[in-house]
Amino acid sequence: MDDVFRVEDLRFTYKKNGVEAVRGITFSIRKGEIFGLLGPSGAGKSTTQKILTRLLKNYTGTIEYLGKDLKSYDNTFYEKVGVGFELPVHFSKLTGMENMLFFQKLYKKNADVEALLKRVGLYEDKDRKVGEYSKGMKMRLNFVRALLNDPQFLFLDEVTNGLDPKNALIVKDMIREFKEEGGTVLLSTHLMNDVEELCDRIAFISGGEIREISTPRDLKIKYGRRELAVEYYENSATKLETFDLDELGENDKFLDIVQNRTIETMHSGETSLDDIFIKVTGEKVHE
Amino acid sequence: MNNFMVLLKGEFQRLIKYNIVQVGFGVSVLWVLVLFLIGRDQAADFVPLFIFMDAALMTILLIGAGLFYERQENTLKSLMITPSKMGHIIASKLVSAVYIALQSALFIGLLAYFFFDATVNFAYLLPFTLLIALSHAIIGYTIAVLVEDFPTLLATLMLYMIVFAFPSIFYALDLFGGLWEIVLVVSPTHASFLLIDFAFGHDVSTTLIVVSALYLLLLAFLLARYVVFPKYIEKAVRE
Repeated sequence: MDDVFRVEDLRFTYKKNGVEAVRGITFSIRKGEIFGLLGPSGAGKSTTQKILTRLLKNYTGTIEYLGKDLKSYDNTFYEKVGVGFELPVHFSKLTGMENMLFFQKLYKKNADVEALLKRVGLYEDKDRKVGEYSKGMKMRLNFVRALLNDPQFLFLDEVTNGLDPKNALIVKDMIREFKEEGGTVLLSTHLMNDVEELCDRIAFISGGEIREISTPRDLKIKYGRRELAVEYYENSATKLETFDLDELGENDKFLDIVQNRTIETMHSGETSLDDIFIKVTGEKVHE
Repeated sequence: MNNFMVLLKGEFQRLIKYNIVQVGFGVSVLWVLVLFLIGRDQAADFVPLFIFMDAALMTILLIGAGLFYERQENTLKSLMITPSKMGHIIASKLVSAVYIALQSALFIGLLAYFFFDATVNFAYLLPFTLLIALSHAIIGYTIAVLVEDFPTLLATLMLYMIVFAFPSIFYALDLFGGLWEIVLVVSPTHASFLLIDFAFGHDVSTTLIVVSALYLLLLAFLLARYVVFPKYIEKAVRE
């Protein structure tokens, strides 16, 4: 599979405070995948995203975008790239539609704004000033803003932040459709639900370094316990037994329970991404 | 339409939506009312001062407040991830600020000409106002990108007025003179005063006019090239 981004030994230090926010990270984002960048606040994910979106330039290391050095691109880079910021990025005294039309005219290729607004449920409010929008509405408009130029690559930062479950689902469906149509996504988030539902591969970043990089499934297997917990009913009471997954089929006690007892629940020792996040980054998930 | 024109059109749309044009016009009306209160005999002497206030100080405030407002709304960053050139983004904001100053200068100048018998050479007034507003817009940007918050911007503007503007205003009102003019030569506000005075038919040597105009141009270029341009990007990214 072709790499859209190839990042090697990327380092960045903020001049003002001398803090090295990104410390030699290496990863690639493959064409057509949704790549999750996960980490606690201050881990370096926003800095990494700002570097990849060309907002920060004094980095060391190598970044290739579609096989070419990122530094060799001029602003036409943004013609095929969409960026969804974590915070609303609109003129509050302009209407939603006025905002979208203004930004859209800055690109050569344009998506159908009305269709996008309809899809995220903002069409009825398109002529209201953005200052009157709720936080969720502003975030949905942010998402539309990212899609205005019909991009091939999407940078999304905390894209479902502040959205109710129904609208979060719509946005996630649109991201999946974007991928199905050949688009590639870099998703920065700390919401593990989004990661589970969307990401093909994820990188955990902490202290400016990548601690893990893999598929959610492989990480769950790696960090999970190879065991099976069985709750069964015996002598008017619920009992719990835990079995090693290895050679489970030859475990006499397990076979006896399965064959002769009433089983109430069975759980494998698969861990959650929340737990992996805490283990890998040493931080709690911020909800 | 190229991106500069789209950006410029957007700036003018926002000048109206954010009531900047209306407020600018309101301030001009206020100056005119003050001129009527001062009385016909002395009003013509104050007209250059009011045009200076609009073209220089109001422009600094307009640009500074605008930049902070845009940082607050995160729109600077949103503009920077479009295919637009940074120079076009900054230039479109400068042009809109200069427009407000020109609108005001033209309004006050015309009223001064028709109602207060002021001697006005519009062929000088408009280009000089453009130059003054442009250089002060860049001074406004310089202050705005160097300070962290809006109260500090206002405090710095006050400091600027005390250091540069008030001596020139006092000089214009003949409150002091003589040796002060030597000090005032390095002041962008005094250079601006000389240009406006000249447009209103006051006796200013051609050498001083040329030096003042070149000084403002050079100052604007140096500040734009070495302060505004690099710091603007930094500010936008740090939103």
